[in-house]
Amino acid sequence: MQLIVDHLSLQYNKGLSTEVKALDDVNLVINEGDFIGLLGHTGSGKSTLVQLLTALLEPTSGTIYFEGEDIFDKSYDRRKLRSKVGLVFQYPEHQLFEENVFEDVCFGPRNLGLDRKSVELRAYEALKKVGMPDELFYQSPFDMSGGQKRKAAIAGVLAMKPEILILDEPTAGLDPQGRDEILGLLRKMHDEDGITIILVSHSMEDVANYVNRIVVLDSGKLLYDDKPRAVFANYKKLEEIGLSAPKVTYVMDALRASGIEVPEDIITIDEAAQAIIKALS
Amino acid sequence: MSIVETKKLAYEYIRRDAEGNVEGITRAVDDVTMNIHQGEFVAILGANGSGKSTLAKHLNAIFYPTEGSVFVDGKDTKDESKLWDIRRTAGMVFQNPDNQIIGQVVEEDVGFGPENMGVPTKEIWERVEESLRIIDMLPFRKMSPMKLSGGQKQRVSIAGVLAMHPKCIILDEPTAMLDPLGRKEVIRAVTALNQVEKITIILITHYMEEVIGADRVIVMDKGQIVMSGTPKEVFSQIELLKELRLDVPDVTMLAYKLRQSGLPIPRGILTQEELISEIEKLKVAK
Amino acid sequence: MIRDITIGQYYQTESVIHRMDPRFKIIATMVFIISIFIFTNPYIYIVASVFLGICIALSRVPFKFMVRGLKSVVMLILLTVIFNMFFIQGEPLFHIWKITISKEGVETAAYMAVRLIILIIGSSIMTLTTTPNQLTDGLESVMKPLKLFRVPVHEIAMMMSIALRFIPILMEETDKIIKAQTARGASFEDKNMIKRVKSLVPVLVPLFVSAFRRASDLAMAMEARCYRGGDGRTKMKPLKYHRVDFVGYVVIIIYFACIIFTGIYAHYLPFGEGL
Repeated sequence: MQLIVDHLSLQYNKGLSTEVKALDDVNLVINEGDFIGLLGHTGSGKSTLVQLLTALLEPTSGTIYFEGEDIFDKSYDRRKLRSKVGLVFQYPEHQLFEENVFEDVCFGPRNLGLDRKSVELRAYEALKKVGMPDELFYQSPFDMSGGQKRKAAIAGVLAMKPEILILDEPTAGLDPQGRDEILGLLRKMHDEDGITIILVSHSMEDVANYVNRIVVLDSGKLLYDDKPRAVFANYKKLEEIGLSAPKVTYVMDALRASGIEVPEDIITIDEAAQAIIKALS
Repeated sequence: MSIVETKKLAYEYIRRDAEGNVEGITRAVDDVTMNIHQGEFVAILGANGSGKSTLAKHLNAIFYPTEGSVFVDGKDTKDESKLWDIRRTAGMVFQNPDNQIIGQVVEEDVGFGPENMGVPTKEIWERVEESLRIIDMLPFRKMSPMKLSGGQKQRVSIAGVLAMHPKCIILDEPTAMLDPLGRKEVIRAVTALNQVEKITIILITHYMEEVIGADRVIVMDKGQIVMSGTPKEVFSQIELLKELRLDVPDVTMLAYKLRQSGLPIPRGILTQEELISEIEKLKVAK
Repeated sequence: MIRDITIGQYYQTESVIHRMDPRFKIIATMVFIISIFIFTNPYIYIVASVFLGICIALSRVPFKFMVRGLKSVVMLILLTVIFNMFFIQGEPLFHIWKITISKEGVETAAYMAVRLIILIIGSSIMTLTTTPNQLTDGLESVMKPLKLFRVPVHEIAMMMSIALRFIPILMEETDKIIKAQTARGASFEDKNMIKRVKSLVPVLVPLFVSAFRRASDLAMAMEARCYRGGDGRTKMKPLKYHRVDFVGYVVIIIYFACIIFTGIYAHYLPFGEGL
């Protein structure tokens, strides 16, 4: 399983004065087992890219290959693609519609044409996986808290058993505990079930703590594609495009400026603490 | 002088199931007594469902207390004849910028409040211009709000409240739907309003970085006030905050970890500068 | 596709038409609409199109932008054309299978299509150059006489203006919801009509939930900003006629006179009584 993005471009309003290059000649290979953080300022093209990855938009030029097949080919079965590449949108309110959570999670597998028994089994497994308490299975999704809605939405996509799971800002608007729960869940799915994850995020701290590869987009172009440490080392450039490095990277930088010997590639709080202790002893 | 005061405020609502039968009563706000002074910058923190937004909606008479009372600039919010006075004194900015902008041009939206208050036309224009200038949005006055970024939209919302000449502005999670740049933009604007225009600010949020500049932090849990003090005092109690499902700013967390590993670093470090000067002291001591 | 709907949107730029009084624009649009419906002959449409062309040029709204708005109503126009063509009887022109297409049918269909296009472009000039607030003020003022009959004029105007503001937002939202459900394997292209209608449920439910939520948020935000209906409200931009509006009224009267004149004397011209 491999997803290859090949010279992908998308222009809106082509030929009008309002022409926008939402995506401009992007090349990217997503491998099995990746945990990718997709970063970019609002309008950098990250939403466009994730929608192209699931064939929800059509590119103006270039294409994407999934398992060697061109997903924009007329004869390609896009439903098959969507069962393997799952996309969870930012607002769970955009997808929850059934009377209760369980029925809602059944929607995806049912669309795959499975029989009732396996649909319900998948829904049950998915809800268990995201840690939804049993007593909420038959609750209306509209009465739930923000974090629970988010979990229900993720379960709704998970029930389709995707090999790649893409999440658009799954932690936006959640409180710290809700955020940690969702991110912990993603890590578990990646580590235990071997699901490839693409996490679209604004929070550098979240990304630094969880992913093993970072892709940065700026004005539709691919700017960086590397290990988190290597990407955050360019924090000055990141700031120019409206992003930043994790807070501790700045602390480390300031410490070095005042003559305390700490390494340059620190991105998490625990690493920072150890480095400072080492420098002082 | 106090601008907003609550006395033993409680708010209950009735939960109903799908058929409309009463399932139970939720006490969203429970026995809250607080006093906010003119010119103060107060941040109210709390996890989702802690009652902080419900509390906020009492402060400009959108909700009325089930028990206890709320006074805005000395006026009881239960007194209906003072309703419009209260709403003018304590302006409110909500979470979703798209759901509170009424005008389709920035300046028309800012003028909406003064129009409702019956301000003469000439003065409306003065107020709109002044508000947009204060919030640094004057160049955008003729634009459609649809074309603005989230942070800019929220600044328009703030300008709209400002044009009503309030003494106090309540912001109910104004940054929850914004990206990091938008968040900074809004917090910077709010801080300037407090420092330059001396307007009382009540900021409701769950982003820890945003409350560092506040004069006072109030932490809520299960409808009650559980902590209150300067940011330094509140963020010194990391274990308690964790219990309340809250975070602390990253720098504070780093200082805490260093302290745990035996380094003599004081509690309640909030900024990078503080932390670095502490570490430098340690280095010199060595 | 959904983004292409331009009806009811404001296009921001500086132009004479943008500066004109909304009351004038509303009245002029009504006169214009009447003008294309009182007579049926090709010369009327030429005069109307020329007039419309001048207005478009003056408005400085790109023509492409307006045409995009037309795309969304193509179905409606086609439907009108087909109905007219097939069901109006008269002198037979030719036969397709068992249906006879009459000369009158083709003629009426062509007229209807032209009328609809002119009508839609004409009224979209008004909405594209007038902010909803101005439009509301204009309507409120034009409809004022109805207050005597206890029509809640201010409330109606306010409701319209809010609806206009939320149309683009809800369109965008619909787009997102469709995508979110498509990502879950939903299909909206089923051949079976019942299944097709059923497939809309996963889109409509989230859309309605969201619309109600927005409505309640907005009501709260308006109340928080001291909104309490039309009484005692002042205006930031009170309506005031300027010289350009008086010129406008003169122009629209001349235009209407031209139409009447063309309508009456058209039968002296070739094809004046129809094609």
